[in-house]
Amino acid sequence: MTHTQKRIIINNLVMVLSTLSAVIGIGFLIWILGVLVINGIDALSMTIFANEGAPPGNEDGGLKHALIGQLILVSYATLFGVPLGVLAGTYLSEYGQKAKLAETIRDVSDIMMSAPSIVIGAFVYAIVVAPSGHFSGWAGSIALTIIMLPIVLRTTDDMLQLVPSTLREAAFALGAPKYKVITQVVYRGAKAGILTGILLAVARVAGETAPLLFTSFNDNFLNTDMSQPMASLTVTMYNYATSPYEDWQKLGWAAAFILSMFILTLNILGRLFLLKKRGK
Amino acid sequence: MATIVDITEEKALKVKDFEFTYAGTDAPSIKKLTMPIAKHSITALIGPSGCGKTTLLRSFNRMHDLYPGNKYNGEIIFKERNILTPKEDLIKLRIQIGMIFQKPTAFPMSIFDNVAYGLRLQGIKNKTELQGRVEKALQDAAIWNEVKDRLKHDANGLSGGQQQRLCIARAVAVEPEILLFDEPTSALDPISTAGIEELIVELRDRVSIIIVTHNMQQAARVSDYTGFMYLGELVELGRTEELFVTPKERLTEEYITGKFG
Ligand SMILES: Nc1ncnc2c1ncn2[C@@H]1O[C@H](COP(=O)(O)OP(=O)(O)O)[C@@H](O)[C@H]1O
Ligand SMILES: [Mg+2]
Repeated sequence: MTHTQKRIIINNLVMVLSTLSAVIGIGFLIWILGVLVINGIDALSMTIFANEGAPPGNEDGGLKHALIGQLILVSYATLFGVPLGVLAGTYLSEYGQKAKLAETIRDVSDIMMSAPSIVIGAFVYAIVVAPSGHFSGWAGSIALTIIMLPIVLRTTDDMLQLVPSTLREAAFALGAPKYKVITQVVYRGAKAGILTGILLAVARVAGETAPLLFTSFNDNFLNTDMSQPMASLTVTMYNYATSPYEDWQKLGWAAAFILSMFILTLNILGRLFLLKKRGK
Repeated sequence: MATIVDITEEKALKVKDFEFTYAGTDAPSIKKLTMPIAKHSITALIGPSGCGKTTLLRSFNRMHDLYPGNKYNGEIIFKERNILTPKEDLIKLRIQIGMIFQKPTAFPMSIFDNVAYGLRLQGIKNKTELQGRVEKALQDAAIWNEVKDRLKHDANGLSGGQQQRLCIARAVAVEPEILLFDEPTSALDPISTAGIEELIVELRDRVSIIIVTHNMQQAARVSDYTGFMYLGELVELGRTEELFVTPKERLTEEYITGKFG
């Protein structure tokens, strides 16, 4: 066998193997989505949105409590996490730059991003739940905030650094003070990227279960009091899906479907923002 | 010592024994440079790449202060004061000494908001005044007719040449006394370049202009005075027609006849 023949064979082998892997990967994705859509749509009904939890065997149990709880938990996390993350990212890109402190914050936030979310749940359990003596919506939102923060911070940092420095210089050259350069010119230049980062961060925390198990826990009924345990789609789904009751399992599918659609929408929106930005 | 022609006009700037050292470097990039800049005229800075033209230009509006660790020495006199002192108000200075960059720097906002940017910074909020001054600046920059129907459109939709004229409009809107141009046409096609050159010549009556260019023909076409720089020093400053025809320094002659560069 000549050298060239050998190379052609290896070439083809690699191509076939990598294509196969891609097909397997996508195959699983389609399978998961397919099962989810079939079971999810089957389980959907108006009562799901109108009713709260019900004991097993009761036909008209719903997910209203979990939907609203989820919305509240994620909203508060966004309310805390986005301004904190954007401001911290602004510090990194516009003030800290290559300084030691800034580099350290970048490293720490990268580590936090890859930390298992259950660890963050345990941390919030230790500092909020245990001292206060009970699970609460606040504890859940704090856990989600901590997960969200490094994502928003790093995207903000990255997106701001992508804004050409000549744009900043041009604003300074017109006599703009630094805070106006940042808020009026740099933020505008990075708007689409930061918005995408925020949407992806919201999508990420919306799918979290483990940190909520330790913090906001669950409630089978509608509760909007943040100082009390609060239902979420993820924890509800976990409870219902692992229960032995068929009607609860059905609700679990519905929760999985709604959650996935929500996260999918956020992801698509985020990508659209970026595409629109690049398009012009 | 450099050969410097007698400038009879008033001076816009007087550079005296000026030295500039970038952060992290030992040797100064500008060495003991002395140079007068005439008022209401166009001074071109030429010289081979890396000779310090941009560095000198960015000292006039203290752009180097945006990055930590850069060092100035000597004096740059503007309106009877040395602008290199720590107490210089950089915001005021940069309103009086504007700058146009190599690549157009249109802000990600509408055409109108771009031109109004510097005016709003100065606290001008009155709608009619803003509109009047934006229109005048766009007319001064010879771009009014092209954009008057789309002032609300994103400035990034304009062509490169149009964006550069928009940046000039933005700079003249605040009525500076000096305008600094750093190779303003190097990213543009020949037709846009001709337009910008024409515009620069027209602006001379109202502002003093310093333009860095690596293009000797451009210096010859637009400027009244030309300074030739080499290795961080000024070699010769002369009336443009004299410097290009009868240079006093051998180095200048070698450069303009293309012996190096
Ligand atoms: N940010 C910087 N840090 C250190 N040295 C620099 C920096 N910018 C330019 N220089 C150096 O200063 C000298 C002059 O550069 P510059 O003013 O850009 O030249 P020109 O505009 O004439 O081409 C060059 O030797 C260049 O390497
Ligand atoms: Mg240069």
